[in-house]
Amino acid sequence: MKIALFIPCLVNQLLPQVAIATTELLEKLGHDVILPEGQTCCGQPMTNSGCFNEARSTVMKLLNAFKGVECDAIVCPAASCLVAAKENFHEYDNSPEAKAVIDKLYELTEFLHDVAPVDSFPRAFPHKVSLQLSCHGLRMLELANASESMKPGFNKMAALLEKVPGVEILYPEPRDECCGFGGTFAMDEGAVSAKMGNDKAQAHANTGAEYIVGFDPSCLMHLDGLIRRRQLPIEIRHLAQILNDAI
Amino acid sequence: MSQAQTSVGHAEKADIFCKDEARVDWHSKALWLLRQKRDRAAAAVPEWEELRTLGSEIKLHTLTHLPQYLEQFEANCQKNGIIVHWAKDGDEHNRIVHEILSKHQVKKLVKSKSMLTEECHLNPYLESKGIEVIDTDLGERIIQLNKQPPSHIVVPAIHLKKEEVGELFHEKIGTEKGASDPTYLTRAARAHLREQFLTADAGMTGVNMAIAEEGAIVVCTNEGNADMGCNLPKLTLHSMGIDKLIPNKEAASVLLRTLARNAIGQLITTYSSFYHGPKPGGEMHVIIVDNGRSEMLKDKLLAESLKCIRCGGCMNTCPVYRRSGGYSYNYFIPGPIGIAVGSKHDDTNTIPWACTLCGSCTYVCPTKVPLHNIIAYQRRLKAEAGKLPYGKAGYMPMVGKLMSSPTLLNCAMSVARFSLRYLPGSMLKPFAGAWGKYRELPKAPASSFEAWYKKNRSK
Ligand code: SF4
Repeated sequence: MKIALFIPCLVNQLLPQVAIATTELLEKLGHDVILPEGQTCCGQPMTNSGCFNEARSTVMKLLNAFKGVECDAIVCPAASCLVAAKENFHEYDNSPEAKAVIDKLYELTEFLHDVAPVDSFPRAFPHKVSLQLSCHGLRMLELANASESMKPGFNKMAALLEKVPGVEILYPEPRDECCGFGGTFAMDEGAVSAKMGNDKAQAHANTGAEYIVGFDPSCLMHLDGLIRRRQLPIEIRHLAQILNDAI
Repeated sequence: MSQAQTSVGHAEKADIFCKDEARVDWHSKALWLLRQKRDRAAAAVPEWEELRTLGSEIKLHTLTHLPQYLEQFEANCQKNGIIVHWAKDGDEHNRIVHEILSKHQVKKLVKSKSMLTEECHLNPYLESKGIEVIDTDLGERIIQLNKQPPSHIVVPAIHLKKEEVGELFHEKIGTEKGASDPTYLTRAARAHLREQFLTADAGMTGVNMAIAEEGAIVVCTNEGNADMGCNLPKLTLHSMGIDKLIPNKEAASVLLRTLARNAIGQLITTYSSFYHGPKPGGEMHVIIVDNGRSEMLKDKLLAESLKCIRCGGCMNTCPVYRRSGGYSYNYFIPGPIGIAVGSKHDDTNTIPWACTLCGSCTYVCPTKVPLHNIIAYQRRLKAEAGKLPYGKAGYMPMVGKLMSSPTLLNCAMSVARFSLRYLPGSMLKPFAGAWGKYRELPKAPASSFEAWYKKNRSK
């Protein structure tokens, strides 16, 4: 497939290793990967704060970067940015071109699980991983069944990791409580955000896992900052990094 | 612990609450226990998700046909001998209640839990008129004795530890000093409350559901206190918001199945009583209150918040509520539903931001109130009214400008990356605000992905 990468600003600037892993992984899986120019932020910091006027030019800039780009799918390794982009594109632009872009948007886990499924990952990753089920991917993209819901259980991230030999999957307790990042929430509500994050990081560490693996770089970055501050014996990894090493 | 002060923003109050980490852990755990009980109770009902859909549809249907159901309800109430009153706001509600009580020369009123009377500030109003008001729900009585508002809509004294209740009871109702055994304290409270029931001139309750087809009201309690208050005195009053209406008994049966399960994991509230009319020789009044509800109904999204059946499930699951306490919300209803219906009343304009938009509340809600969408919308309403908290009005336009310009953003981020790599952390932390106060700053990479891509992939 021809895939256009959607690399949100945070990943581009602070976590390029996640985007590099995404690129290499998709290429190894036989896809043709391109990076449309002129991408910027999805507008989430502004629209999440209610500031829709302030977000307009940013969101349109990003949308325009994808309009007319020839590809089968637009793939993003950051769940909450993807959700925000989808909603925001829709908010500001109702044109058929915008709809064509929106219809092609996929989060990486979703893409690898639903659109271009992968049979197996040949190389072993003999480690314990604790899954970070970040809220937007979980409840807005339904990458896994949320614990509040009594629908039959499923978990797309776990399904992918189960195909990697040697991976042992663990879950923190509570399994899918918010880590407290919440975009500007981490700045506005510092104390609660840190408390939520510390509880979450500790819950991950309590599983005995060596890595926290997730699909949302922003939550992972927040947890990483707290883990290093408290020197917990666990590290963060994006799903793309694990899968890229396993192929 | 501080009570509701309306001039201090949520973050600041939460910050104070968070200072006592052991207490936060205890508070969070107590509520999470309810969430776990709820999960078990819900999982035991194979058609749980269908019940939620049905509950949502029932409430939405009633809300969209409200005038017709209100009329039907009033007519059927009157047929049953119930006297119906209409109040456009809290003041009118309180006046009506006072009129009824003074006509019957009521000196002491026993009341069962009702968030609506909290909303109308009924207790202080009646007390100012010389009427003694006794809250009879155990939790309510505890906080009444402690001179506090509820910190949760279902478990109103959840913020108090049993030792604190023991001390309070020792002081107010003469239990033994140092006694904190819940059974002992509950027994003592029962004896104390029985005394109140027997000497009261009138009883008052909230309403969980009002059945239009029957002209009947449903009151749910676990302690039977509403029934004591309804059955002992001859005069009873029942206050309800217009949003409490449902069409028929079948609708009640759906909502009754989810209400207690979602609240505390119980199959049904121990006393789920239907009242169809006054007892012989008695008088039964129903006061139907609007107080801003029909205004909310005009907005499609805000209207959905009126589907709420006040189970409290969204508070128990909310990770922010559990770690910031019920008194940090600047509204008498805290947590997600408090933000959804109370943002307008918060003068600090901060409560819509007391949320990470994680969506857990929306998924937990038995009537599918889209809480996180409403909360996000409340932020937008504040922004549009020029009421942004935390300095956002100042910096958001700059963020907007920065983010919309790849050149500016690249430039700023290279500086940031450079600083993160080469300046000592201690120099940066003061500049990194709340982030750096609690966390290590991100480890900065040498270059952006875009630069990597240009170098390694451009043909
Ligand atoms: S919004 Fe839903 S979960 Fe929250 S109290 Fe109301 S009914 Fe319960």
